[in-house]
Amino acid sequence: MSELASESSNTAPAQRRPSASEGVRCELASEPVAEREDVLATATAAAPPPRRDPDRTEPLLVVDDLRIRFVGRGRTVHAVNGLSYSLAPGRTLAIIGESGSGKSVAARALMGLLPPTARVSGSARFDGTEMVGLSEREARRHRGADIAMVFQDPARSLNPTMRIGAQIAEAVRAHSDLPKAAAHRRAVELLSLVHLPAPQRRFHEYPHQLSGGMRQRVMIAIALAGEPRLLVADEATTALDVTTQAQIMELLLELQQRLGTAIVLISHDLGLAASYADDVVVMYAGRVVERARTADLFAHVRMPYTGALLGAIPRLEREPHSLLPVVPGQPPDLSALPRGCPFRPRCSSATDRCAEDPPLQEHEPGHWWACWHPLPDARPDAPAKEGV
Amino acid sequence: MTVPTATPAGTAPSDPRDDRAPGRLATVLASPGTRLVGKRVLLAVPIVVGVSILTFWVLNLIPGNAAQQLLGPEATAEQVRALEQELGLDQPGYVRYLDWLGAAVTGDLGTSLVSRQPVTALLGERLAVTGELVGLAFLVSLGLAVPVALLAAYRPGRMFDRVSMLVSITGLSVANYVLALLLVLLFAVELALFPAIGFVPLSQSVAGNLHSMALPVAAISFPLFCFYTRFLRGDLVDQLQGEDYITTARAKGIGPGQVLLRHAFRNSSFGLITVVGLNLGTLIGGTVIVEQIFALPGIGQLMLQAVNTRDFVVVQACVLVFAVVAVLANLVADLLYAVLDPRIRYGSR
Amino acid sequence: MAVVDAAVAVEAGPVRGRAGAWWLRNLEIAVPAAVVALVALACFVGPLVLPVPPPIGGSVLESYLPAGSPGHLLGTDPNGNDILSRILHGGRSSLTVAVAVNLLGLAVGGTLGALSGYLGGATDTVIMRVLDVLIAFPSLVLTLAVAQSLGASQTNTVLALAFFSVPAFARISRAATLRLRELPFMAAAQLCGTPGWRVLARHVAPNIAPQLITFAMLGMGIVIVIEGALSFLGLGIPPPAPSWGNMISQGQQSLSATPALVVWPCLALFVTVLAFNLLGETLRARWSGR
Ligand SMILES: Nc1ncnc2c1ncn2[C@@H]1O[C@H](COP(=O)(O)OP(=O)(O)OP(=O)(O)O)[C@@H](O)[C@H]1O
Ligand code: SF4
Ligand SMILES: [Mg+2]
Repeated sequence: MSELASESSNTAPAQRRPSASEGVRCELASEPVAEREDVLATATAAAPPPRRDPDRTEPLLVVDDLRIRFVGRGRTVHAVNGLSYSLAPGRTLAIIGESGSGKSVAARALMGLLPPTARVSGSARFDGTEMVGLSEREARRHRGADIAMVFQDPARSLNPTMRIGAQIAEAVRAHSDLPKAAAHRRAVELLSLVHLPAPQRRFHEYPHQLSGGMRQRVMIAIALAGEPRLLVADEATTALDVTTQAQIMELLLELQQRLGTAIVLISHDLGLAASYADDVVVMYAGRVVERARTADLFAHVRMPYTGALLGAIPRLEREPHSLLPVVPGQPPDLSALPRGCPFRPRCSSATDRCAEDPPLQEHEPGHWWACWHPLPDARPDAPAKEGV
Repeated sequence: MTVPTATPAGTAPSDPRDDRAPGRLATVLASPGTRLVGKRVLLAVPIVVGVSILTFWVLNLIPGNAAQQLLGPEATAEQVRALEQELGLDQPGYVRYLDWLGAAVTGDLGTSLVSRQPVTALLGERLAVTGELVGLAFLVSLGLAVPVALLAAYRPGRMFDRVSMLVSITGLSVANYVLALLLVLLFAVELALFPAIGFVPLSQSVAGNLHSMALPVAAISFPLFCFYTRFLRGDLVDQLQGEDYITTARAKGIGPGQVLLRHAFRNSSFGLITVVGLNLGTLIGGTVIVEQIFALPGIGQLMLQAVNTRDFVVVQACVLVFAVVAVLANLVADLLYAVLDPRIRYGSR
Repeated sequence: MAVVDAAVAVEAGPVRGRAGAWWLRNLEIAVPAAVVALVALACFVGPLVLPVPPPIGGSVLESYLPAGSPGHLLGTDPNGNDILSRILHGGRSSLTVAVAVNLLGLAVGGTLGALSGYLGGATDTVIMRVLDVLIAFPSLVLTLAVAQSLGASQTNTVLALAFFSVPAFARISRAATLRLRELPFMAAAQLCGTPGWRVLARHVAPNIAPQLITFAMLGMGIVIVIEGALSFLGLGIPPPAPSWGNMISQGQQSLSATPALVVWPCLALFVTVLAFNLLGETLRARWSGR
């Protein structure tokens, strides 16, 4: 089977931009969390990729001051307002935020999958290549081959009138000139790779003949068909029941171990991020409001919005996209964002000062937040420091 | 770092098509799709019966005395009574309907009051003419509408899309008789390229037949083409913009042409089949007036003559033929849908 | 759901004032609406205020006058009647028939569809089966048969066409009601014990009305065309009373010699139907949120 391109590029000196913005300098890599070790033990088929010291690896993806707005009939929706993060090869970053905070839009922008009404500015460099402003034709070369995506609703994300085998084979052939028969074999392999039982038979079935979890496995097989180095899982488990959710997450991590794929995990769910991600970015109204290594973030939540999200965690049974807001109050109107902290109307710590934009700053090593009055640090030895 | 080619034990990567082996026909026959087909066929029967009752009822609303009108004002009372008896008009409505239905089931649609010929004989050749007209119009309109809609949806909002949408809404606003007359004016009167009237039977000359059919077919196909184009283009654009599996397909990195053909069009074609089936009733209704303008010896012309001579036996037969064809077209569309759409073929929904 | 959304969109959408009036920013609605208004005005008020001769009773001595003849802007027909006058009076009957048919269809079909969708169950099945029978009919064909048996007249044309427009209205009304039934406020109304007829009148009717009215715009175009066809075949408005259909039919006899006799009524028919179609299509696109 073919060699993954990432092997060489990991070591290649990717031209790093002179870090004009704060965002680029922030390196979010960390050691794998405990959970990770079990998965490693179960991954048998291939040796795990050699792990380099994460702090010295060039990041695979650097998003810097990404801004996205939608222009429509006399109304402009500012969906993403200066998003910055970076992600090292083979690692997992969780992007957390309420419905409408711009998570999906930001992820789709990486692949050039936004509708024509979207205006994207800023930068998103994948392995040194600028992805913002690519033509459709150029973007298409990267889709599937470099970055792949698994979507939320597997029932709607598969073509109902095509056999699943054909849908996978199509993805295989999108970036290789494998003959039909070879693509077919490869598709069956991919089906067994994602542990779909009886792959030979399933190959000829239609999506409606599979269960939700099986469909999501098929979606993952499609995403892996082009051997991407980055997999974006956009709420890939939200539509599934709790048991299946865990199975799919385990599968993703197992595959990450085997293939060395970096993962962006988009979710509403802080609990998911806590168990599976290396780093966490919390988004609100299209901005980053807090980010840190997973362990740091959960030990010392500083931003009031993250705190509110955390307070609402023990509800795994929550309906996806449920109408009940997790955090009391309504998210702001993205077409008329006022100056100042966007969380202000819902924040119990808000003061007059919050009418001014709180900058996103690295207040503690590796821990960034944007808030004038951060929550007190729970650590006993924490420096009693107020964000200034 | 190699992607593992995981193949679970026991599943040899031979030709995977093998496991399709257990007789395709058997699977289809036992499938929920077949049951659905059976249900549809059974439903078509009461509809045809309902249509025939309605026709019978409507035609028997004739005010005054049918026999009197047939015979003319000079007829004597005895003559009228004799004719009434002969036609069975002295019997109650339901008896006459049941008599008619019984005969119709055996293929006897009665005798023309005017020409005294069996109606089935009258229908025979005319059915072929109307069938040819409808068939050609259907082929031409769909054959043009599919590529035009695909091109328009390939780049929505661009020049081609805008022009084709403008043409199609204009075309939908031209009544077929207006179009027929304008075609005659342009191609028969001004340019003398095609004959306005003078039907050449297919048996006489194929080229001559097609030549004589060109204008009538054009008059019927153009509005139909506009309708199909609009429908298909709209549905394609809806799919392209609103369906998640389109995003999946694009995220694979395949080209826009493939997304359009393999994904959007594949799914839109099911809607198109239904619309075509529903539309066929209107289409054959439109032949009445076009056959009249171009003097084509089809069912529509026969029916119009019968309406004017008050030959209600023939009118009844013609209406029945039209209605049965419309119901059948619908049924065929349903069946096609059931055979083609895997969601129905293999159950669910 | 679409209706409610659309209603919200309309309320929140184009705001009055600022740069240009509402109609300037909504030309695709304003232009066809203006054309429809103009046609209606010309046909119903025109003959009263314009110096046009009556549509019938012309003198054969004045037949076949060309366009621009004194007193006959568009010329005269074989019977010496003024063409413009006949087009205006013909439009009157076309529009009258179309409005009457669509009002009847909307009232009867809309009610049946809403009942069918709201009550569901056996009522739904029976109503929809009966309507299936009607839909299976090539309506022009049966209208011909009706016109023959009842005799050609304006009232009979209206009744026959309305009869066949009922299923279309009913289907749209039923589909809209079904979509509405899933919304929370409907359940709320039912839980509060509001009687069914009240729910229908207060909640269902106002919400499905926009879709029905939109369809009625398209229906206007369809009925004008079919009424023209009936008259063309001699089974609609009986001559010598003018109608666009029978004018076209009359002109067809001398198509090569005097094409203008066909072209004028065709043009009137086309422009009117196009305006209604554009209006209907734009409204439909608005409601469906595209
Ligand atoms: N095509 C579009 N046109 C206009 N606005 C859009 C479009 N797509 C998304 N938006 C807006 O952008 C904002 C961010 O949407 P996005 O889908 O990224 O949210 P999300 O964080 O993924 O939420 P969810 O958790 O519900 O998936 C929303 O307010 C949405 O209304
Ligand atoms: S900046 Fe002010 S309003 Fe915003 S989160 Fe912090 S305290 Fe609350
Ligand atoms: Mg999302």
